[in-house]
Amino acid sequence: MTNERYLIASYFAGAALSAGLGTIVYLFLRRPFGGVADAASGKRLSSMLKRLLPWGLLFPALLGFVSVSYQGCGRTTYEEIVQNRSYLVEKNQEQISSVLRYILVAVVFWDVIVLLILKYSQNGRNQSQLRQADD
Amino acid sequence: MSLQLSAFLTLLVLSLAVPIILFLLLRASLTDLLRHTLKVQAGITFYLRSFLLILFLSALSAAIGTSFYLKPDSRFMEYVWKGAEGVSSTLEKTLWFVTVYLVLITILVATLKIKDDK
Repeated sequence: MTNERYLIASYFAGAALSAGLGTIVYLFLRRPFGGVADAASGKRLSSMLKRLLPWGLLFPALLGFVSVSYQGCGRTTYEEIVQNRSYLVEKNQEQISSVLRYILVAVVFWDVIVLLILKYSQNGRNQSQLRQADD
Repeated sequence: MSLQLSAFLTLLVLSLAVPIILFLLLRASLTDLLRHTLKVQAGITFYLRSFLLILFLSALSAAIGTSFYLKPDSRFMEYVWKGAEGVSSTLEKTLWFVTVYLVLITILVATLKIKDDK
Protein backbone atom coordinates (compact mmCIF):
# COMPACT_ATOMS: atom_id res chain seq x y z
CA MET A 1 0.00 0.00 0.00
CA THR A 2 1.43 3.39 -0.97
CA ASN A 3 1.66 6.16 1.60
CA GLU A 4 -1.00 8.17 -0.21
CA ARG A 5 -3.45 5.27 -0.16
CA TYR A 6 -2.63 4.69 3.50
CA LEU A 7 -3.34 8.37 4.25
CA ILE A 8 -6.76 8.25 2.53
CA ALA A 9 -7.77 4.93 4.12
CA SER A 10 -6.56 5.86 7.61
CA TYR A 11 -8.20 9.30 7.49
CA PHE A 12 -11.67 7.96 6.70
CA ALA A 13 -11.22 5.00 9.05
CA GLY A 14 -10.26 7.49 11.77
CA ALA A 15 -13.33 9.61 11.08
CA ALA A 16 -15.55 6.51 11.30
CA LEU A 17 -13.81 5.41 14.49
CA SER A 18 -14.34 8.79 16.13
CA ALA A 19 -18.06 8.72 15.25
CA GLY A 20 -18.22 5.13 16.53
CA LEU A 21 -16.55 6.00 19.82
CA GLY A 22 -18.92 8.93 20.34
CA THR A 23 -21.89 6.63 19.66
CA ILE A 24 -20.61 3.91 22.03
CA VAL A 25 -20.19 6.42 24.86
CA TYR A 26 -23.69 7.77 24.13
CA LEU A 27 -25.20 4.27 24.26
CA PHE A 28 -23.34 3.59 27.51
CA LEU A 29 -24.73 6.73 29.19
CA ARG A 30 -28.13 6.98 27.49
CA ARG A 31 -30.27 4.97 29.91
CA PRO A 32 -29.02 6.37 33.22
CA PHE A 33 -29.07 9.89 31.77
CA GLY A 34 -32.64 9.38 30.55
CA GLY A 35 -33.57 8.10 34.00
CA VAL A 36 -32.13 11.19 35.69
CA ALA A 37 -33.76 13.54 33.17
CA ASP A 38 -37.17 11.83 33.56
CA ALA A 39 -37.09 11.60 37.33
CA ALA A 40 -35.71 15.00 38.07
CA SER A 41 -37.02 17.57 35.64
CA GLY A 42 -40.07 18.73 33.72
CA LYS A 43 -41.29 16.95 30.62
CA ARG A 44 -40.05 19.56 28.12
CA LEU A 45 -36.61 19.93 29.69
CA SER A 46 -36.24 16.16 29.95
CA SER A 47 -37.08 15.66 26.28
CA MET A 48 -34.71 18.43 25.20
CA LEU A 49 -31.82 17.08 27.28
CA LYS A 50 -32.32 13.55 25.98
CA ARG A 51 -32.16 14.83 22.41
CA LEU A 52 -29.07 16.91 23.13
CA LEU A 53 -27.04 14.08 24.70
CA PRO A 54 -26.10 12.21 21.46
CA TRP A 55 -24.98 15.45 19.79
CA GLY A 56 -23.16 16.51 22.93
CA LEU A 57 -21.00 13.39 22.64
CA LEU A 58 -20.78 12.93 18.87
CA PHE A 59 -19.73 16.52 18.07
CA PRO A 60 -16.83 16.57 20.54
CA ALA A 61 -15.62 13.24 19.11
CA LEU A 62 -15.62 14.63 15.56
CA LEU A 63 -14.16 17.91 16.76
CA GLY A 64 -11.30 16.01 18.38
CA PHE A 65 -10.67 14.19 15.10
CA VAL A 66 -10.64 17.27 12.86
CA SER A 67 -8.63 19.36 15.31
CA VAL A 68 -5.43 17.46 14.40
CA SER A 69 -3.57 19.02 11.49
CA TYR A 70 -1.21 17.09 9.23
CA GLN A 71 0.76 20.23 8.50
CA GLY A 72 3.50 20.96 11.00
CA CYS A 73 6.96 19.80 12.10
CA GLY A 74 8.46 21.36 8.96
CA ARG A 75 5.94 19.61 6.70
CA THR A 76 3.80 22.09 4.79
CA THR A 77 3.21 20.55 1.37
CA TYR A 78 1.23 17.42 0.55
CA GLU A 79 4.33 15.69 -0.86
CA GLU A 80 6.25 16.27 2.36
CA ILE A 81 3.34 14.90 4.40
CA VAL A 82 2.96 11.65 2.45
CA GLN A 83 6.72 11.11 2.23
CA ASN A 84 7.06 9.35 5.56
CA ARG A 85 4.75 6.50 6.74
CA SER A 86 5.80 6.81 10.38
CA TYR A 87 4.69 10.47 10.35
CA LEU A 88 1.25 9.40 9.09
CA VAL A 89 0.94 6.72 11.79
CA GLU A 90 1.99 9.27 14.40
CA LYS A 91 -0.74 11.62 13.19
CA ASN A 92 -3.32 8.79 13.37
CA GLN A 93 -2.31 8.14 16.97
CA GLU A 94 -2.63 11.86 17.68
CA GLN A 95 -6.13 11.89 16.13
CA ILE A 96 -7.38 8.97 18.24
CA SER A 97 -5.83 10.47 21.36
CA SER A 98 -7.52 13.80 20.61
CA VAL A 99 -10.90 12.10 20.02
CA LEU A 100 -10.67 10.33 23.39
CA ARG A 101 -9.66 13.58 25.13
CA TYR A 102 -12.55 15.55 23.65
CA ILE A 103 -15.06 12.81 24.59
CA LEU A 104 -13.59 12.85 28.09
CA VAL A 105 -14.19 16.58 28.40
CA ALA A 106 -17.73 16.08 27.07
CA VAL A 107 -18.43 13.40 29.71
CA VAL A 108 -17.25 15.78 32.45
CA PHE A 109 -19.53 18.47 30.97
CA TRP A 110 -22.55 16.10 31.09
CA ASP A 111 -21.63 15.22 34.69
CA VAL A 112 -22.00 18.91 35.52
CA ILE A 113 -25.34 19.04 33.67
CA VAL A 114 -26.64 16.05 35.68
CA LEU A 115 -25.49 17.75 38.87
CA LEU A 116 -27.46 20.87 37.89
CA ILE A 117 -30.55 18.79 37.01
CA LEU A 118 -30.44 17.05 40.38
CA LYS A 119 -29.98 20.36 42.20
CA TYR A 120 -32.83 21.95 40.24
CA SER A 121 -35.14 19.04 41.02
CA GLN A 122 -34.23 19.14 44.70
CA ASN A 123 -35.05 22.85 44.86
CA GLY A 124 -38.38 22.09 43.17
CA ARG A 125 -39.15 19.35 45.70
CA ASN A 126 -38.21 21.58 48.66
CA GLN A 127 -40.42 24.40 47.39
CA SER A 128 -43.41 22.09 46.93
CA GLN A 129 -42.87 20.68 50.46
CA LEU A 130 -42.81 24.25 51.86
CA ARG A 131 -46.04 25.09 49.99
CA GLN A 132 -47.73 21.97 51.40
CA ALA A 133 -46.59 22.90 54.93
CA ASP A 134 -48.01 26.45 54.49
CA ASP A 135 -51.38 25.04 53.33
CA MET B 1 7.16 -8.57 16.65
CA SER B 2 9.08 -5.31 16.30
CA LEU B 3 10.42 -3.51 19.32
CA GLN B 4 8.17 -0.52 18.58
CA LEU B 5 5.02 -2.64 18.58
CA SER B 6 5.93 -4.55 21.74
CA ALA B 7 6.73 -1.29 23.55
CA PHE B 8 3.42 0.22 22.43
CA LEU B 9 1.44 -2.90 23.48
CA THR B 10 3.15 -2.96 26.88
CA LEU B 11 2.21 0.66 27.42
CA LEU B 12 -1.36 -0.06 26.32
CA VAL B 13 -1.69 -2.99 28.77
CA LEU B 14 -0.27 -0.87 31.61
CA SER B 15 -2.59 2.00 30.79
CA LEU B 16 -5.57 -0.36 30.83
CA ALA B 17 -4.49 -1.88 34.14
CA VAL B 18 -4.39 1.49 35.94
CA PRO B 19 -8.10 2.39 35.41
CA ILE B 20 -9.23 -1.20 36.12
CA ILE B 21 -7.37 -1.28 39.45
CA LEU B 22 -8.56 2.22 40.41
CA PHE B 23 -12.18 1.43 39.53
CA LEU B 24 -12.18 -1.85 41.46
CA LEU B 25 -10.64 -0.11 44.48
CA LEU B 26 -13.07 2.82 44.54
CA ARG B 27 -16.31 1.35 43.16
CA ALA B 28 -17.84 0.08 46.42
CA SER B 29 -17.19 3.25 48.44
CA LEU B 30 -18.27 5.52 45.57
CA THR B 31 -21.53 3.57 45.17
CA ASP B 32 -22.12 3.84 48.90
CA LEU B 33 -21.48 7.59 48.90
CA LEU B 34 -23.75 8.15 45.90
CA ARG B 35 -26.50 5.99 47.44
CA HIS B 36 -26.45 8.20 50.53
CA THR B 37 -26.53 11.37 48.42
CA LEU B 38 -28.85 10.72 45.50
CA LYS B 39 -32.45 9.65 45.60
CA VAL B 40 -32.58 8.79 41.91
CA GLN B 41 -31.14 5.33 41.16
CA ALA B 42 -30.34 6.35 37.57
CA GLY B 43 -28.12 9.13 38.95
CA ILE B 44 -25.99 6.59 40.81
CA THR B 45 -25.60 4.49 37.64
CA PHE B 46 -24.80 7.61 35.58
CA TYR B 47 -22.04 8.82 37.89
CA LEU B 48 -20.53 5.32 38.21
CA ARG B 49 -20.46 4.86 34.45
CA SER B 50 -19.03 8.30 33.88
CA PHE B 51 -16.30 7.56 36.44
CA LEU B 52 -15.41 4.40 34.53
CA LEU B 53 -15.34 6.37 31.26
CA ILE B 54 -13.20 9.13 32.76
CA LEU B 55 -10.64 6.59 33.98
CA PHE B 56 -10.42 4.68 30.70
CA LEU B 57 -10.57 7.66 28.34
CA SER B 58 -7.91 9.64 30.20
CA ALA B 59 -5.52 6.68 30.41
CA LEU B 60 -6.03 5.57 26.81
CA SER B 61 -5.84 9.06 25.37
CA ALA B 62 -2.41 9.54 26.94
CA ALA B 63 -1.17 6.06 26.01
CA ILE B 64 -2.30 6.17 22.37
CA GLY B 65 -0.84 9.65 21.97
CA THR B 66 2.64 8.37 22.82
CA SER B 67 4.74 7.81 19.71
CA PHE B 68 7.40 5.07 19.65
CA TYR B 69 8.98 6.09 16.37
CA LEU B 70 12.66 6.42 17.23
CA LYS B 71 15.76 6.28 15.05
CA PRO B 72 16.17 2.88 13.32
CA ASP B 73 19.33 2.13 15.30
CA SER B 74 17.74 2.92 18.68
CA ARG B 75 18.75 0.71 21.60
CA PHE B 76 16.47 -1.25 23.91
CA MET B 77 16.71 1.24 26.77
CA GLU B 78 15.59 4.10 24.52
CA TYR B 79 12.29 2.27 24.01
CA VAL B 80 12.06 1.70 27.76
CA TRP B 81 12.53 5.43 28.39
CA LYS B 82 9.90 6.24 25.82
CA GLY B 83 7.56 3.74 27.50
CA ALA B 84 8.25 5.31 30.89
CA GLU B 85 7.40 8.70 29.37
CA GLY B 86 4.11 7.24 28.18
CA VAL B 87 3.31 5.75 31.62
CA SER B 88 4.13 9.09 33.21
CA SER B 89 1.80 10.88 30.81
CA THR B 90 -0.96 8.28 31.41
CA LEU B 91 -0.75 8.56 35.18
CA GLU B 92 -0.62 12.35 35.09
CA LYS B 93 -3.69 12.64 32.88
CA THR B 94 -5.61 10.07 34.93
CA LEU B 95 -4.71 11.93 38.11
CA TRP B 96 -5.93 15.27 36.75
CA PHE B 97 -9.25 13.93 35.53
CA VAL B 98 -9.87 11.91 38.70
CA THR B 99 -9.23 15.14 40.62
CA VAL B 100 -11.81 16.96 38.48
CA TYR B 101 -14.28 14.11 39.08
CA LEU B 102 -13.65 14.20 42.83
CA VAL B 103 -14.25 17.96 42.91
CA LEU B 104 -17.51 17.38 41.06
CA ILE B 105 -18.60 14.62 43.46
CA THR B 106 -17.68 16.83 46.44
CA ILE B 107 -19.89 19.61 45.05
CA LEU B 108 -22.64 17.04 44.47
CA VAL B 109 -22.46 15.79 48.04
CA ALA B 110 -22.16 19.31 49.48
CA THR B 111 -25.13 20.68 47.59
CA LEU B 112 -27.50 17.72 47.77
CA LYS B 113 -26.75 15.83 50.98
CA ILE B 114 -26.67 18.75 53.44
CA LYS B 115 -30.22 19.77 52.61
CA ASP B 116 -31.40 16.17 52.97
CA ASP B 117 -29.80 15.92 56.41
CA LYS B 118 -31.76 18.96 57.59
